[in-house]
Amino acid sequence: MTLLANFLAIAIVLNIIESQIPVIPVPGAKLGIANVVTLIVLYVYSFKDSASLMLLRVLLVSMLTGKLLSPIFVMSLSGGVAATLAMGFFKKTNFFGVLGVSVIGSVFHCIGQIIGGIFVIGSTAVVFYLPIMLFLSIPAGALTGIIAQRFLVIWQTWHNEVES
Amino acid sequence: MTEIRNTSKNKRDVLLLVILFLLVGGVYLVFQLFAFSGDQQVANIYYGSSSDPIVTIDFVNFEVTKRYNQPVPEGYGSFPLIDLDNQTITLLGDYTIGGERQIVVIKYTFATGEHRGSVEIIEEQSPNNICSREGVSTGKPLICLPNRIRVEFGSNDSEDFVV
Repeated sequence: MTLLANFLAIAIVLNIIESQIPVIPVPGAKLGIANVVTLIVLYVYSFKDSASLMLLRVLLVSMLTGKLLSPIFVMSLSGGVAATLAMGFFKKTNFFGVLGVSVIGSVFHCIGQIIGGIFVIGSTAVVFYLPIMLFLSIPAGALTGIIAQRFLVIWQTWHNEVES
Repeated sequence: MTEIRNTSKNKRDVLLLVILFLLVGGVYLVFQLFAFSGDQQVANIYYGSSSDPIVTIDFVNFEVTKRYNQPVPEGYGSFPLIDLDNQTITLLGDYTIGGERQIVVIKYTFATGEHRGSVEIIEEQSPNNICSREGVSTGKPLICLPNRIRVEFGSNDSEDFVV
């Protein structure tokens, strides 16, 4: 529980830092580095824990930045829910590894965001932004997947050392 | 936890990555090349989740029509402001700075010769300024999400605007 709270704190800090510093030159596009934490918790703990971590992260970040119930909040929430559900499902099918699950999560994050956007503005015009978003989401998802994979390998060896 | 270094899964991951990248890249390329290549007759400006345009810019008849006043709280004045000399339309956005709602300025250009009618968001306040950085558009919708203002292109042959 303490460790989960720490993961949540890390995710929140990463999320806020990332929203302040544009890493990708395309306006509005983010790496989704906080998703690394969701992914790690999904593999180390469970789907339930990763889902509650994502929900708390979105809620707390929007409260801390004063964006609660704003269009941005609605879109982060719908994107986060879609990504977490997709990642949970594809982890369970056990067909893809951490990298694949991360990319799938990234793609579903875009789709979820667009669905949230349609609700916010009441128009399907946001769909025109989907091709560029999806195109950028694949390398972003791959990078976060690689980071999570590296972490999990280190975590695993550390865990084995402690137990033996 | 042993499944993290699984070579068959790694292969499938890379395959998924390549297939997805080619698929999405292809869609993106086709989209960039063929979408919005036709001439647009009108551009409609919307506020909030309403599907009734507040202002319609008619590129064919060189007309700008205000359909109704933007619903804004008292003390903000009257919107939209249509400036026919400078070819700008000003609306009140949802984004607030210090509790004050901010304006969104839209510039339109009628079609002349080989230049197609276009719209650009020239002034707007938001965290990433996505819609003003989008630049001039001749067909792609411009969406200012934090301000909940959008510009969509279409044809003027029907009164009911397809959303």
